[in-house]
Amino acid sequence: MSPLNTSCHDTAAGPVLRVTGDLDYEHAPALRRRVEELILVPGQCLVIDLSGLDFCDSSGITALLAALRHAQAKGADLALAAVPANILRIFSVVGLDRVFTLQA
Amino acid sequence: MCRTAEEPEPDADRGTDAAFSALLEDSAEDLYEQAPCGYLSTLMDGTIAKANATLLGWLGLERQAVVGRMRFTDLLTVGGKLYHETHFAPLLRMQGELGGIALEMRTGSGDRLPVLVSSVVKYGSGGEPLLIRTTVFDASDRRAYEAQLLRRRQEAEQARAEAERQRERAEDALRQAESDRARLTEALAALQQSLVPTSLPAVPDLESAVYYHTASPDRLGGDFYDLFPLDEDRWAFFLGDVCGKGPAAASLTSLTRYTLRAAALHDPEPATTLATLNTVLHEQYTAAGDPRYCTAVFGTIEPGHDRQHRTVRLASGGHPPALVLRADGRAEFLATPGGLLVGILPDAPFTTAQTTLAPGDTLLLYTDGLTEARTGPTRTSLFGDDALHAFATDHAPAGPQEVITALTGLLKSFGDGLDDDTALLALGVPATRATTAPTTPPATNPTNPAR
Repeated sequence: MSPLNTSCHDTAAGPVLRVTGDLDYEHAPALRRRVEELILVPGQCLVIDLSGLDFCDSSGITALLAALRHAQAKGADLALAAVPANILRIFSVVGLDRVFTLQA
Repeated sequence: MCRTAEEPEPDADRGTDAAFSALLEDSAEDLYEQAPCGYLSTLMDGTIAKANATLLGWLGLERQAVVGRMRFTDLLTVGGKLYHETHFAPLLRMQGELGGIALEMRTGSGDRLPVLVSSVVKYGSGGEPLLIRTTVFDASDRRAYEAQLLRRRQEAEQARAEAERQRERAEDALRQAESDRARLTEALAALQQSLVPTSLPAVPDLESAVYYHTASPDRLGGDFYDLFPLDEDRWAFFLGDVCGKGPAAASLTSLTRYTLRAAALHDPEPATTLATLNTVLHEQYTAAGDPRYCTAVFGTIEPGHDRQHRTVRLASGGHPPALVLRADGRAEFLATPGGLLVGILPDAPFTTAQTTLAPGDTLLLYTDGLTEARTGPTRTSLFGDDALHAFATDHAPAGPQEVITALTGLLKSFGDGLDDDTALLALGVPATRATTAPTTPPATNPTNPAR
């Protein structure tokens, strides 16, 4: 089990949040808090880069859904970038590939 | 005095001897009167015949008021007198001497003086007792020391008693904690039983089997299943998995289970039932800013074109596809396209899929505890859909109990890899024994335990 780390940088289109480690029952709340701290303005797109994500369970999915809701509440969009194949498989089983905007 | 091995120095020796002599010049009278202890001599009737200045000084009494006028017991306190009469005097008469007896004297000003008394009887040449010689030691310091010891002992006893009380309190707390834990375990078990049925009902002409595993005993399971009648011929079943763990997951499970049961009685069309659940969960949680959801397969089973076949209709919301083990040895996933996690969007599309179960066919529903079970050292080495399909193909054809038993054995082989809750539900039409079997099975069909 690896701890969760997040790092953030701003681009013209909006903030990019890179997530590495495990997004599970123990660590998902940290991502939720991190996202809620982000300042988003209408029209921006928050990108969550999941290329360093090792594991994602239902708590992790909840955190990502909370992020989506947070972005939409601010009038912004959310996109998930570089979703690892094993997590993409889960997303397609549960239909999340049609809920989230996915970037390569 | 330390002498060396060298030649003694006569001058130094002479000096020391002179100092000794000066001390020894002390008269015996002076030694008696000024001794560091009290002396007194009494006649055999107790009359004081002689007392030294030290004792008189301690007592603050004049010699002429004491000698020949007072008895030894007159110098003692009431308690001292009693002890003298009952113990001291009889023992002294018997033994002729007595040492280190603690008594209390009373001074001229009325103060108490704790003393240690030793006495010896002086006998005449004919062996007759003549008088008693007594030494008196001031025991004030010793008494104070004893009092201090006593106080210390009392303090130690108080500390021990306090420690004992602490220990009792700790034991009480432990008993309380154990009783609380037992009550909590009982409450959790009762709650858990409201989430899943204690046993599956017997369904005519249908076999069923179930397996339910909670990953951790202190966390309520997030998996659920049920099987219940809709009317005389139709039954509904569902199986799912709520997000999260613990009491929050349990409340979601409870809401989900009873919503599905109620919705199914209202309109059992699987896609509609799941849509109702979606609306309820979305209203309750996600719309309120607390995204929670579940995955679920909901289905109905009813008689098909003849009594030997069953029509199954089911819809899935974000749940792994159901698996059918056919009587001819094939195994196939039952595609339920379009199903989204239940509760995350206000309007989620669900579609109903349909299949027919022939005699010997078994429908298997499972939660992702099975397909997400770790088979390797990392979280990404999972059992997976392909492995499950291969396993099912190996075992087909198999009745519900056979399938559950085989999968239970498989799950046990995962050991620590099974770190999620797991629920398995299998429903099957009993295989007919022979092709010549009547189209309407006899009521005593032995392959059907539900009968």
